[in-house]
Amino acid sequence: MAEQSLSGLTEQQAKEFHEQFKVTYTAFVGLAALAHLFVIAANPWW
Amino acid sequence: MSDVAKPKNPEDDWKIWLVVNPATWLMPWLFAVLVIAIAVHWVVFAVGLGWHA
Repeated sequence: MAEQSLSGLTEQQAKEFHEQFKVTYTAFVGLAALAHLFVIAANPWW
Repeated sequence: MSDVAKPKNPEDDWKIWLVVNPATWLMPWLFAVLVIAIAVHWVVFAVGLGWHA
């Protein structure tokens, strides 16, 4: 039984998934920031 | 337990996937994010910061 990770993913799979995760998460944060800027422009909450 | 190497982030961020399997947990996480987002919008509208605040 080779050394297996807790999740069952190999190092290569984990790194590969993480690359996609970073891309998608960056897009999510970007879109959220944009949405907040629109709200600030239209209707600041302070 | 003290001799466990401390992670160096963000270089070691990917190691989370050696502990958490995204095939199992990615969708539950995304639904949790959705629930939080709905809750935040609900509060923001409830306190009157809606479209015509």
